[in-house]
Amino acid sequence: MAAPRYCPSCLSLASQTTTTLFRASTPRISPFTPPPQSLLQQPNQLRAASQNALKYRRKDVPASQKRKKARSTFLVPDLRNAIQFSLVEAMRYLRASEVGRPPTSSKYELHLRLRTPKNGAVVRNRLRLPHPVKTDLRICVIAPSDSPQGLAAKAAGAVIVGEEEIFLAIKEGRVEFDRCLCHTDSLALLQKANLGRILGPKGLMPSVKTNTVVKDVGASVREMAGASEYRERFGVVRMAIGQLGFSAEEMQRNIRAFVESVKRDMQGISDQTAKDLHEVVLSSTNGPGLSLNGSFSSGEDGGVGARDVSTL
Amino acid sequence: MVSLPQRMRKLQTKLLAIRLGSGAYVLPKDIKRIHMRFAPRIEGGHMGPRKFWHHELVRLKYHNPAVTMTVDRTARPEDAAVMSVHYTSSNPTLSSDSPAAGPAPVASTSASTPAEADSNTTEDVRTIDMKHRTNSEILDELVRMTRAKVVEATAEEVEELRALEEQRVRGAKDSAKSQDVRARLKREKDLLEQARGEMAGQAA
Repeated sequence: MAAPRYCPSCLSLASQTTTTLFRASTPRISPFTPPPQSLLQQPNQLRAASQNALKYRRKDVPASQKRKKARSTFLVPDLRNAIQFSLVEAMRYLRASEVGRPPTSSKYELHLRLRTPKNGAVVRNRLRLPHPVKTDLRICVIAPSDSPQGLAAKAAGAVIVGEEEIFLAIKEGRVEFDRCLCHTDSLALLQKANLGRILGPKGLMPSVKTNTVVKDVGASVREMAGASEYRERFGVVRMAIGQLGFSAEEMQRNIRAFVESVKRDMQGISDQTAKDLHEVVLSSTNGPGLSLNGSFSSGEDGGVGARDVSTL
Repeated sequence: MVSLPQRMRKLQTKLLAIRLGSGAYVLPKDIKRIHMRFAPRIEGGHMGPRKFWHHELVRLKYHNPAVTMTVDRTARPEDAAVMSVHYTSSNPTLSSDSPAAGPAPVASTSASTPAEADSNTTEDVRTIDMKHRTNSEILDELVRMTRAKVVEATAEEVEELRALEEQRVRGAKDSAKSQDVRARLKREKDLLEQARGEMAGQAA
């Protein structure tokens, strides 16, 4: 629609205003000019001048039927040509890239590249890491504070527990928590309090669909506080695996737990789709992505050991 | 998805930039900690420290991973911009991996702010004023003060840098050429579209 207009005679770019002049005066020399007779006789077959040519015309297959073989699996790189690093080497580069930043703000992330067909089942699960990445999740529980549920929630680590006082605080605008759970008995009260306008856009409104309306609040609070969720997107599983302040051993434990969990998930759905772990890449908030070769540390690192990499 | 050779080339450039360049020095073993304090914005002469943090400090940290390097950006613009270098003094109780012992924060999930000077080791702290100075000046002063040793590029690294640069130049030329070809093909396609559009208009 916004294609540039070319002057038909000299085939150079022309402006919109001048083409109308050309149209009226100069004879057309464009390659598809038919002879005048066929224009009158065969208005629909402008390209073919005679029946013979029509018979031998190359049949162009319409684009929708053209057989272009689409790939059915995601491409994976050939790792023989890849430069890979041990964990300690990779952490050395990443710590250098993140120098000076607060140790809890920068995170390490792990990307697992899978060899998988494109339209199969995806890996999706939650996991408790041995050393949790985000520990300061403030959870609010809506249940009567003196009931056994409320007490269990407080014991499990919920920051705010209660009913009316929470509603009041939210209406005033003091939303001082990151997640909100509700006990099934208090759901009616919650609906009546009409907090959807405030909590809804933030994604904090407890609902049955998001599993935030629960019977056993203690266990849910514990589970929510520690678990990190991961899912496979386009053949890659990505998850935050550590903070900058973690030591090499802690990172190793987290990485092992994560990789094993993903492998277990892949085995679980292996009857539907065949999945295979292909590459493991460690990266950080401000650093490059480094492919790991599976070893903890290599010998030839100039004497930099795990201890050195673990100091901030 | 980017192809593997492209990814590796980009990665190598970045890693070589961390290993070599301005700020690639090995500090002497008795330096324990470098702390910088400056303002979050550059007004008041704080651009030098900020550039130093992003460029030189990264390379220093790569070559001296055991030295704690912290940055505090809570100063006001009118405050001084100061870099303090903490030395371990000769103390008989120090073990062989001295930079990690004592008050240096060994990373763990509980460590957040670095601890203050321990009473066991008498700390020797020297400061550099960074205000209104460029990052190269700050680096020179640091190197002079600590007598750090520069890290030279090895023969392989020089070779790699040269190959990457050559590849980059060649890639730019090829990119310009293929852009020309693509522009030509697009022009031909547009001409055809226009012609077809006019024929359809004539037939109607």
